[in-house]
Amino acid sequence: MAKPLVLSFGGVEIPLGLEKVERSDLYGFVEIETLDEQGRKCSLATLADDGRSLIGSGGISLVTLSPEGNWLQKKACIPTDNQGKKVEMVPSSYAAPVPLSEVVSIEEYLSHDIRAVYQISSEADLGGLMAELKKGTIYRFPYSFRGGLEPDAGFLLLASDGTAFMAVGSPTKLEFVGFEQSAGIADEESGEEEDLLDFGMM
Amino acid sequence: MLREGIEQMGTINIANDKGRDAVVGSVSVLKPVKVRWLDEQGRQIQSGRVMKAHQAHELTALEAAAGGRDKIAQTLIDADPEIDMENFGAMLKESSRVYVNPEGKIVRKVRQFEVIRNPDGTERERRPRKIAQPNSDTETPLKWTGKLMKKKEVYNKFVFAKKRQIVHVNGLTYDFLYGMAKDLEKSESLMLLGAGAKGNQPLVLTRGGQQYRGFLEGRTQGEKYCLILHLSNMELKSAPKGAE
Repeated sequence: MAKPLVLSFGGVEIPLGLEKVERSDLYGFVEIETLDEQGRKCSLATLADDGRSLIGSGGISLVTLSPEGNWLQKKACIPTDNQGKKVEMVPSSYAAPVPLSEVVSIEEYLSHDIRAVYQISSEADLGGLMAELKKGTIYRFPYSFRGGLEPDAGFLLLASDGTAFMAVGSPTKLEFVGFEQSAGIADEESGEEEDLLDFGMM
Repeated sequence: MLREGIEQMGTINIANDKGRDAVVGSVSVLKPVKVRWLDEQGRQIQSGRVMKAHQAHELTALEAAAGGRDKIAQTLIDADPEIDMENFGAMLKESSRVYVNPEGKIVRKVRQFEVIRNPDGTERERRPRKIAQPNSDTETPLKWTGKLMKKKEVYNKFVFAKKRQIVHVNGLTYDFLYGMAKDLEKSESLMLLGAGAKGNQPLVLTRGGQQYRGFLEGRTQGEKYCLILHLSNMELKSAPKGAE
């Protein structure tokens, strides 16, 4: 069984089960089928720069190289910021309880690109937390699945259908622009309102 | 300039609530990666791609050469045919993506179909592949649908996966976009944007790219504004039971 994400809320530790909800779970998905002239299924491969070697799925590795082109172990390398200072690694969010204390506004939440959403469940009592979420409270916390350089932004919120979700996203660099900050450079019958929000048609 | 080193500046043709349209700037708001990796001597490292294996030395080829799967073991012991000493580990620079048939031969003429599947994986429809064309910067502007949605009611209804910031390109478009941002801010709402002549089509920003519903949000700060095009391709809701 997967290790739960433990959130610390109001002095109580709440272990959460996370179930990822993807677009394909809601609307289905599209597969691209490629056939040759005889109607046989084809697959994608990589043709190497020698013009002869065909490399199938899993046949290529990414490697880390020194300036001279010698192989290096990535773990022996040092992550730095733009000032050249070492960046400390953050631990996995599953290593210790994550305090749930920061509340953000709708605008702050909307300033993030949301990459993944997880429906949450728990065998513990979620009553107090759900009462806060029902008021429209959005909690933010640093979230890192494996641990690494920079945590993502994790949000806990209640969806409009009443389901509690954890959303994982990245902040964006939105900024207010003024007049001087220039950037350089047919009607038909209206459809049904439902069509406008039909996510299944896309 | 809007900001130093503007990257991925595009244009977008957008109409306001009065049906007036203009071509304006559309800027990526992705935060750049701030981390540089150094070696033990403080020099910047680089990454590369190497060949791990190729099809001439994979199981299918070995099986064909040995005359059956049961005969492979002995050939592995005798001659290491699974390893290409000359090429495995070679750096890959200018490689290409190609289609291969079940025999592992390159195919130059293919037909493509879209197989549309239900959440449970069953086939719903099959049709020739149609590559979506971008529709955010065509002669037909993106339209305000008139469907305003209060922020407090919409933030938890959709998953806003991406966004673009809409910016002016001259004095006239500054007034145009500032007015739009001001109106939207006053309404505390997002405006649903649509593409196509009816304004009811999803937005496609790049050729063959993902289709999104567009939601426009406006914020102002004195004489400055921030007009955000939120893009969403799914609702925030639980999956139906049994969906895999």
